[in-house]
Amino acid sequence: MEKELDKVIEEIMLAPDVNGCLVADHQGLCLASKGTAHVDSAGIIVAISEQACKIQPNLKPPTVCLETDKKQCLIQRHGTITGAIYKQKA
Amino acid sequence: MDKIPDQIGYLVLAEDGAVLESGGDLENDERVATIITDLITLSNKVDPCAFSPNEKFKKISITYDDHWFVICLSNKKIYVVKRSIPLAVSEGNTVNV
Repeated sequence: MEKELDKVIEEIMLAPDVNGCLVADHQGLCLASKGTAHVDSAGIIVAISEQACKIQPNLKPPTVCLETDKKQCLIQRHGTITGAIYKQKA
Repeated sequence: MDKIPDQIGYLVLAEDGAVLESGGDLENDERVATIITDLITLSNKVDPCAFSPNEKFKKISITYDDHWFVICLSNKKIYVVKRSIPLAVSEGNTVNV
């Protein structure tokens, strides 16, 4: 049932510098995760994405980027699905 | 703060979220200040596995189509800058790194 989703996850993991990726629904349930992305962080990632949407509720959901020295985590919501990609900084 | 290119607003907050300075689009915007303080608290708990436990985020950016917010912590203060994205460059929701 989740073949399509798995295909997309595989494609994302093949992109350069990607360490992990995660997909969650609007309630924080993890639908898929791969690599360094932890299943448990689905809830927090959805919460972060929702919080960011509150800044400008009339615009479409923004892309949130959390960065440390060497890594970054990109989060975006599209409809009811929130995706997160963990990357190594180039 | 005025020297940041494309800057259209800024906020300087204390660690507890109190507004110390503000200007431009974000002038006196306590609503955004509260949202951002909550966002920072959330982001500290993101991922014990992908990021090492003591690795706090240095920078958070929130990108919309035509403008973006940059948030960083320094010297126990939270700095938030709202910057515009030049129209020629933007093609939807791209993240500026």
